[in-house]
Amino acid sequence: MTTLAPQKISFPGYEAGLETAIQMVNAALFADYRMTRRAIAILLLQEDAEIQLLVREQEGEQYTFVKQAVQFALQEFGGNIDSAIILQRRDMVLKITRQVMQHADKPRVMVTERLSRMCMSPITGIPILIIALWFGLYQFVGVFGGGTLVNLLEKQLFGQYLNPWFTVHVQHWIPWPWLSDLFVGDYGIWTLGITYAVALIFPIVGTFFIAFSVLEDSGYFPRLAMLIDRLFKGIGLNGKAVIPIVLGFGCDTMATIVTRILETPRERILATFLLSLAIPCSAQMGVMTAMLSGHPTAFILWMLIMTGIFLLIGYLTGRLMPGETAHFAMELPPLRWPSPANILIKTWSRVQWYFLEVFPLFIFASFAIWLGRLTGVFTLLVKGLVPVVRFLGLPDKAAEAFLFGFFRRDYGAAGLYKLQEHGALNGNSLLVSVVTLTIFLPCIAQFLMVKKERGLKMALGMAAFILPFAVLVGGGLNFVLTALHVHL
Amino acid sequence: MSNIPFFEIVKNTLMGARRTGQDSKDSIGGLDDVIPAKKLIVVGNPNVGKSVVFNRLTGRYVVVSNYPGTTVEISRGKTRIHDLWFEIVDTPGMYSLRPISDEERVGRELLLLETADAVLHVLDAKNLERMLPFTLQLIEAGYPVILALNMMDEARNLGVKIDTARLRNILGIPVVETIALTGQGIDELRNTIYDYTCSTENQFSRV
Repeated sequence: MTTLAPQKISFPGYEAGLETAIQMVNAALFADYRMTRRAIAILLLQEDAEIQLLVREQEGEQYTFVKQAVQFALQEFGGNIDSAIILQRRDMVLKITRQVMQHADKPRVMVTERLSRMCMSPITGIPILIIALWFGLYQFVGVFGGGTLVNLLEKQLFGQYLNPWFTVHVQHWIPWPWLSDLFVGDYGIWTLGITYAVALIFPIVGTFFIAFSVLEDSGYFPRLAMLIDRLFKGIGLNGKAVIPIVLGFGCDTMATIVTRILETPRERILATFLLSLAIPCSAQMGVMTAMLSGHPTAFILWMLIMTGIFLLIGYLTGRLMPGETAHFAMELPPLRWPSPANILIKTWSRVQWYFLEVFPLFIFASFAIWLGRLTGVFTLLVKGLVPVVRFLGLPDKAAEAFLFGFFRRDYGAAGLYKLQEHGALNGNSLLVSVVTLTIFLPCIAQFLMVKKERGLKMALGMAAFILPFAVLVGGGLNFVLTALHVHL
Repeated sequence: MSNIPFFEIVKNTLMGARRTGQDSKDSIGGLDDVIPAKKLIVVGNPNVGKSVVFNRLTGRYVVVSNYPGTTVEISRGKTRIHDLWFEIVDTPGMYSLRPISDEERVGRELLLLETADAVLHVLDAKNLERMLPFTLQLIEAGYPVILALNMMDEARNLGVKIDTARLRNILGIPVVETIALTGQGIDELRNTIYDYTCSTENQFSRV
């Protein structure tokens, strides 16, 4: 950049009428703030509620004068002061940018720009989405992560070498079966908790995080948001809600926090609800894709059913909760080649976070199950779930997996995965159980986050709806499949 | 100031928010061993690279997402520039000093609660027109602003030319060009932060 001789250009200001109004309010302020009184005056003129509160606190008895000054200034000014402030500020900026900014006559239309448009237009965008789902999710996460890698780790490494070795040694050192079961029994900390976490969930979630990071770093998600925007407006959410929803496929708990970016309480509730109900998080999504990896038709049906539920429930809830949909404008970051360093660090930090969260819980679950089996509570609970499982058309064994599902959905999914490995589930039962579990209660962390963000009443209300709904949908699906003599 | 209920509420919101966020490990970049002499607050529109700048400055990783609105909480880190330690505070994206969503509110509350030695406004160089109003607002509010024109490479690719020296003259604040993704301009930014916070004359120059 060429260095210019320093010339003083005056900093542009507001027009006289507005400036007077600002001065008037400014003169009524006496307290100290972390920003200038002038800025506080402007925010008061814009009727910013939080600033009003702050000024009331700070000015004390003076506040009545401030209020009068604001009222007087607003009257004197006449028109809409808020838009005047915004417009005049924009004018100032234009005065500045005209002097410092130059646009090329013809911006180059790059290949990325064309690709970007293709991602957002429905005709080309939907096929692109399907391709991304098929290769990124089904092939890479399901077939490679859930098939090849799990086979290598779980069946070979853990099943052949580590687990037998551990079992023998632990049983040698702890001769009482009731105690050694805690570590190496059917539900032991090592044989169930750690084996699930390391040999089953890790390869699946790891591959999922890689695929997710690649798509995220490339800038695909915001374009996906634009694509789905229209769909969302139909169900009463603005396109901005795509952000938490898409992030929900990574982790619903995080996504629940991100619903804060939505402007109206109505949208926040709606998005939180949909996240709890219909969005499987990465761990679940991975394990479920892996379960269905031998049954492409079931996989596609699962996707379609979940999309259908999402839209239907979203639409109905939107109808039940009247309110305005907020406007939506989103910044599109450029499409770019994802950088390997970024992918690595993103995947790593996610895997790390996941393990920190999941590991203690898996170990705790093993411990709780061990205690439950010693006291007989576990068997009782499983028995209680058997009718539900039968209603879903699943073998009784699946009751255990559903009990696990109360800890975390992915934990339950891992239980089902084991059943499927032993060939206890046919295509139909696979689909039914996967659909039921996807809708099933969110994990404990997400529940707590919903409670924190939306309140206990809302969290309990959502749970009270979701639980029976999951079973009903699963049962209904089973009924339809049987009635139509479908064998997946 | 701290005994005022309003601030208590706000403070609790901020603290409460901090504990549960993406970084449960509050001690990374731990401020326990040194007490930073200066504080820098990073602000800007969503998705302009604030978190990347933050990571570049602190060498600490907060989840960066090429996606608007992914930082919803406040992250803190520290860095040493020459002989001084700086506390760097990353905020969720905001469009102006007048928040619309809860997430924007978090950032403004921080600006109302904590005294910063400098406020770093990171903006997307190719969208200068749309983001400069916020800079004007920050200057108007008397904050010691440093402006980082980020994503200069993308701006250049789009054929946008910016006369940074002139912009610096008009605004009367330091303006630095950066490409945070590759780290270009970060050294200059660090020096600017140091010089700006250590010279007293330009603080609150436009009150």
